[in-house]
Amino acid sequence: MDNKEHKSHRPRQAGSKKDKKTKKQKKTEEKNNPKAFAPLSGRKAEKLARRKQELVQKKLHVPLVDRTPLEPPPVVVAVVGPPQTGKTTLIKSLVKRYTKHNITEVKGPITVVSGKKRRLTFIECTNDMNCMIDVAKIADLVLLLIDASFGFEMETFEFLNILQVHGFPKIIGVLTHLDKFKKIKTLKTTKKRLKHRFWTEIYQGAKLFYLSGIINGRYPDKEIQNLSRFISVMKFRPLIWRNTHPYLVADRVEDLTDPEEVRQNPLCDRIVTLYGYLRGTNMKANMKVHIPGAGDQYLSDISILPDPCPLPDKVRRRLSEKHKVIYAPMSNVGGIMYDKDAVYIDVPGSFIKRSDHTNDVEEYEQGPGEKMVMNLQDVPDTLAAKLEESKLSIFANSVPMKASDLAEENNYDNSGGKRDTDEEDDDSEEEEFDSDDNDNSESEDDKEDEEEEEEDDEEEDNDNDEEEENNYEEEKIIKEKSSSRRAAISKFDVKDDTNEEEIIYAESDSDMDDIVGQDDEDDSDLDGALRWKSNLTGKAKEIFFANRRINIMELIYSNEKSPEEIASGDLSDLLKVSTVPEDKKDNVEEEDNEEFFKIAKKDIESMNVIDSTKSYLDISNLDKWDDDDTLESIRNRFITGSLEDDISAGENDSSDSEIRGDFEDLETGEIVIGEVDKSKEELEQKALAQKRALLKKKFDAEYDEKDSTPKVDFYDEVKEEISKQLQLNREEFEDDDPHTRAMVEGFRPGTYVRILLREMPCEFVKYFDPTYPIIVGGLLTTEENLGFIQVRIKRHRWHKRILKTKDPLIFSLGWRRFQSIPIYSLNDGTRNRMLKYTPEHMHCLATFYGPIYPPNTGFCAVQSVSNDSTAAFRISATGIVLDNNHSVEIVKKLKLTGVPYKIFKNTAFIKNMFTSALEVAKFEGAAIRTVSGIRGQVKKPLSKSEGHFRATFEDKVLMSDIVFLRAWYPIKPKKFYNPVTSLLLSSKKEWQGMRLTGQIRRELDIETPKNPDSRYKKIDRQNRRFNPLHIPLSLQANLPFASKPKLPKKRTNQLYTQKRAVVLEPKEKKMYTLMQQIHTLKKEKDRKRKEKQTKKHLEYAKKMAKQEAVLAEKDKKERKEYFRKQGLSQKRKITSEGTSKRSKTR
Amino acid sequence: MSGSQSSKVLKFSGHGYLRQRLILATLSGRIIKINKIRSEDNDPGLKDFEASFLRLLEKVTNGSTIEINYTGTSILYKPGVITGGKIYHECGTSRGIGYFLEPLVALAPFSKQPFDLTLTGITNDNTDISMDSMRTVTLLQLKKFGIEEGLELKISKRGSAPLGGGEVNFKCPIIRSLKPMQFTDEGRIKRIRGIASCTRVSPQNANRLVDSARSVLNRYIPDIYIYTDVYKGEESGKSPGFALNLVAESTTGVLYCSEQAALSGETPEDIGSRTAKLLLNEISKGGCVDSLNQWLILLLMVLGPEDVSKIRIGKLTAFTIQYLRDIKDIFDVTFKIKLDTTNNSLLLACVGVGYINYSKKTT
Repeated sequence: MDNKEHKSHRPRQAGSKKDKKTKKQKKTEEKNNPKAFAPLSGRKAEKLARRKQELVQKKLHVPLVDRTPLEPPPVVVAVVGPPQTGKTTLIKSLVKRYTKHNITEVKGPITVVSGKKRRLTFIECTNDMNCMIDVAKIADLVLLLIDASFGFEMETFEFLNILQVHGFPKIIGVLTHLDKFKKIKTLKTTKKRLKHRFWTEIYQGAKLFYLSGIINGRYPDKEIQNLSRFISVMKFRPLIWRNTHPYLVADRVEDLTDPEEVRQNPLCDRIVTLYGYLRGTNMKANMKVHIPGAGDQYLSDISILPDPCPLPDKVRRRLSEKHKVIYAPMSNVGGIMYDKDAVYIDVPGSFIKRSDHTNDVEEYEQGPGEKMVMNLQDVPDTLAAKLEESKLSIFANSVPMKASDLAEENNYDNSGGKRDTDEEDDDSEEEEFDSDDNDNSESEDDKEDEEEEEEDDEEEDNDNDEEEENNYEEEKIIKEKSSSRRAAISKFDVKDDTNEEEIIYAESDSDMDDIVGQDDEDDSDLDGALRWKSNLTGKAKEIFFANRRINIMELIYSNEKSPEEIASGDLSDLLKVSTVPEDKKDNVEEEDNEEFFKIAKKDIESMNVIDSTKSYLDISNLDKWDDDDTLESIRNRFITGSLEDDISAGENDSSDSEIRGDFEDLETGEIVIGEVDKSKEELEQKALAQKRALLKKKFDAEYDEKDSTPKVDFYDEVKEEISKQLQLNREEFEDDDPHTRAMVEGFRPGTYVRILLREMPCEFVKYFDPTYPIIVGGLLTTEENLGFIQVRIKRHRWHKRILKTKDPLIFSLGWRRFQSIPIYSLNDGTRNRMLKYTPEHMHCLATFYGPIYPPNTGFCAVQSVSNDSTAAFRISATGIVLDNNHSVEIVKKLKLTGVPYKIFKNTAFIKNMFTSALEVAKFEGAAIRTVSGIRGQVKKPLSKSEGHFRATFEDKVLMSDIVFLRAWYPIKPKKFYNPVTSLLLSSKKEWQGMRLTGQIRRELDIETPKNPDSRYKKIDRQNRRFNPLHIPLSLQANLPFASKPKLPKKRTNQLYTQKRAVVLEPKEKKMYTLMQQIHTLKKEKDRKRKEKQTKKHLEYAKKMAKQEAVLAEKDKKERKEYFRKQGLSQKRKITSEGTSKRSKTR
Repeated sequence: MSGSQSSKVLKFSGHGYLRQRLILATLSGRIIKINKIRSEDNDPGLKDFEASFLRLLEKVTNGSTIEINYTGTSILYKPGVITGGKIYHECGTSRGIGYFLEPLVALAPFSKQPFDLTLTGITNDNTDISMDSMRTVTLLQLKKFGIEEGLELKISKRGSAPLGGGEVNFKCPIIRSLKPMQFTDEGRIKRIRGIASCTRVSPQNANRLVDSARSVLNRYIPDIYIYTDVYKGEESGKSPGFALNLVAESTTGVLYCSEQAALSGETPEDIGSRTAKLLLNEISKGGCVDSLNQWLILLLMVLGPEDVSKIRIGKLTAFTIQYLRDIKDIFDVTFKIKLDTTNNSLLLACVGVGYINYSKKTT
């Protein structure tokens, strides 16, 4: 087209752009030709290598087992921040971003599908300490909101500290209120400052988001999109506590107590169901759980429900609008509102049939569709009722058949064969469900449909016909109320069937027989139309027993047969005759009725049971081993046996486990069995090939070991092991039916379940508040028990005061929050000594009574969880569990004092230390000491005076000495454990546990009792005067030299040096005189100088005095003048005041 | 709250399986009540050895309380913390040391201090597991779960049946948690070892035991070695007697054992061939654990981390079946039991409870 030459690119020759480019180029060169850039010096090379290795090591983490399932539960995203930082706005914005839903209020968890493989549950965390602690225990990701215009607040740091002790989840900081900054410069500096502070708290380079302003009540879409992207790619590291405990964050709560019962006794214990996704590990059916804020409970029932917020069923490139589901039963989304005990649907006013008096004021014309809907609301009966009333006459003259009659028959059937009807019910329900799905989009108009949908929403599986009828009736009642909000009562009428269900399941076979018998009788009566049904039962029975045939588990775990019976019989025989024989069945029934009889019989049976593993081995039929054939039959169990026989016998052999995987041998075994029919040649060939492969492997192992096996370090080895085990965990129960899976495995994380709890306190339902998260935390078997826990604790350095022993403290440990009374102590190498207060900047030990937790579990402690609006830092202490025990070994020092009242040589009688001879006897041989340091020992109590004793010392003690005995007194913490039941309060922030003594005294206005002995007084200590030691001379003479006093006498004669005369040498004399002359000269000189100086000083003083005098004169004059003036003005003032006063009085 | 408290107490009845229930309760920390202990018997209540076992349990734990009613027909057991440490206990002569030591093997790894347990009594008899089998087979089962170093059982004195006088010393290290285990390949027998011991009888008896056992087993495998262990003087206890213990080891490390101790009037030949036949019986059952130690393997599988453990068992004994039921009651763990039709053995798989040694101190 145009071959005009373009202007060629001229790279920059200088400047920053050029620098950047050259740097980049150098880097690529380095990469492409590393040899050219190899370090020249060895030291540098070593340094580089070390640095590289350090980086590698830094990257490594302790390998942890990640137990998140393939389809993980929604990630819990907790939005945390001080009040007024924009938590709700952020959740609203994010929900809008993910689902295009505008939610009006954020209450309770909100679950959304955020991507192809990820769901998120948003939880807003209020600033109540209870809420913060609970949220910290379940959050997988924390969005930490910070008001940039204000800066960091205490709540933020408190929350971070709580997080740290309970396993640190991922954190994204979010700065809000950035639009409040006017100047760009201050905005920039604030951002930087906050960022660096945030980094010191979390880690260098932690992600911090900036949300600039609010548009339409939401944050800017662009920024929210960025944030959502970060959330969607977030990776999570398993946290130890959550990786070993099952838990559930309830997103829906319902009270199922019989209303009649509640009416009779409003304070009765409630039956409550909680719904939510299981998290952590597998939850067992009969597990004990702890609900923080509500106490411990045993799970009554747990059942899997269809996922209300499912991930897209197949892998798609993009998430379609249809799959962007939101599930937030507590926060009024999409017009559906789940209350405690009902589901409300928000219907816009137009479709509502108004009550009669308002009917005539219709303002607008109704379309035909709308009219139809209105008319439908007039229907007095439900569809079911209508169906029941519907008649069908087969012949013209016959009596019309009513559906209700049929229903009765059905009921009769149901009561007998519960099991198969249940199955049918399930089917029908599923059908219902499907059909709903189909016409979901078009018709919301049909009212019945709506109601069915509600039922489906609730999704329960164990409904009887009766119950359904009840429901319809109830719905009818509700329909009559015409309001814009309609309550749909849950179908979950509580019956005690949840437990019974299993029992029925276990016993069903006995019932089954009855039913089957009945059905057989009925068969002849039935006409052709119903015959298929009878066949069905028969088939069901067959299937049922076919299933049972392979079910060894039931044989072993049901108590039908005694272990001896099972063990003695052949297993395959037992399984074949798994149906309970008639007479046996009768026995079982009798057992229920006449317990006495049965048990007595059992006792006789077990009378001669010997408790030993060995006694169950039978030594009786050993004679068979005399037979040659029997002996040969186990030939293959030895390595000397032939290999072929082994294969044909279908045994799995293989001398090395490497050929076959450890666990697939079952499958291979099965494969082998299939091949038995093949010709012998093939088998031989196969065996040969196997042998060859074996040999080759051996050869390989011997000769090229170094090349074939890659070097695996410890880290990779452990990781490999973990992944292998996980793989195995997944595969093991893959093809089992859900019932066995639930029994063996428990309920897996990621499933949506409904948990039934009985005996919940009524306050839990009464004061239910969706803004507080409800956590159901599973407890392992040992964690139910209480004991003394020893922890390592450190007062938080931001907490104002040090902590005092025996002051109650609220601990957040494991799932629980509880108040207990700790005793602080410090181990001094030999014993645990009690401390009255925690050390200032040191860890110490604390021991308290509470639930047992595995060592190394972190905890934090607060003094109060109630909102006492203190600006101070609320976390008092943090630490970890060290030890659990049922006794404690803390001691405090006890000094017993006494005084001697009679002193012999080294023996003294001591009084006032003990009060009785028994006490003395207890301390016989104990070491004692006087204040002056003389050591001694308690000997024997004195018989005459109670509590006095004889003691010996290493030296003679004085009467004025005090003798003391140092002892250790064991301290036991009070057995006080008070779980924080904040969820049971009407206002959740005001939980108050045990108060401090001082607090009580202050509140009740009681004076502190004062012990006069404890009062501080001035102590008068007289100075002791000691007389000089006087030893008679006669005694001194006899003393050995070492003991003689060595005080010298005053000298009377002079010493030699004092006496002698000194004569100088001539030279010395000369030197001496010279020095004297020089000194004389110097002295004279000095004297003259001094004289001169004094003269000068005098002159100067005279001069100064003159000046001073002049100045003083001047000053005097000035003063005189000033005071004269002052006096005058004062005088004037007084006179003027006097006149004014006078004038006033006048 | 009172309702949930009362449901905490698990109830059992009968004197059978007493030890296992107490041990399971101790491990799980659950309170159990056992009643109807020989309530219909002429001599009702706990026997002396059971009382002795309870005393031993009290010694190895801290804070456990045992309430026995007046007639001794019911016990309420509140478990405490397993403390271990250096303990001496006289087992008496009504049951062997095996009765006492066997259940404690499961307890020992989870104590506060390493077990150093000295027990005196009968080392070899026909009702309880002998110390030789404990040492050569039972303790080796622990190795599969990661307990290896410091595990030791020393028979310092041997004591035969009526009067006993033996002494053993059991040492076990403590661990934080077990490893999961999969063991389904039974392999084939590669060697047979054994110990023929005799106390206060002619050492020739031991040789006769060896010969008779070999005569039965020699047809299968040449790698048989049976040690003769003759105790003399002080170390040989108070009664005469002899016993044989045989262990067959497979290529994959499966151990089958059998043992017999002589009753009065029995010849070494009887004992030798009977033990060998018992061993063959055991081998014919197959599986990856012999019948004596099934319970231990299953219990340790349950106590493992929350992973799948799997084992092949030839034939469940009545003891094991009751054990499975008790495990279900106390730990709420059900095994998946599957019949492998190829060799009529059972595959037992379970998910562990994630048991952690709660009493072990951290520094």
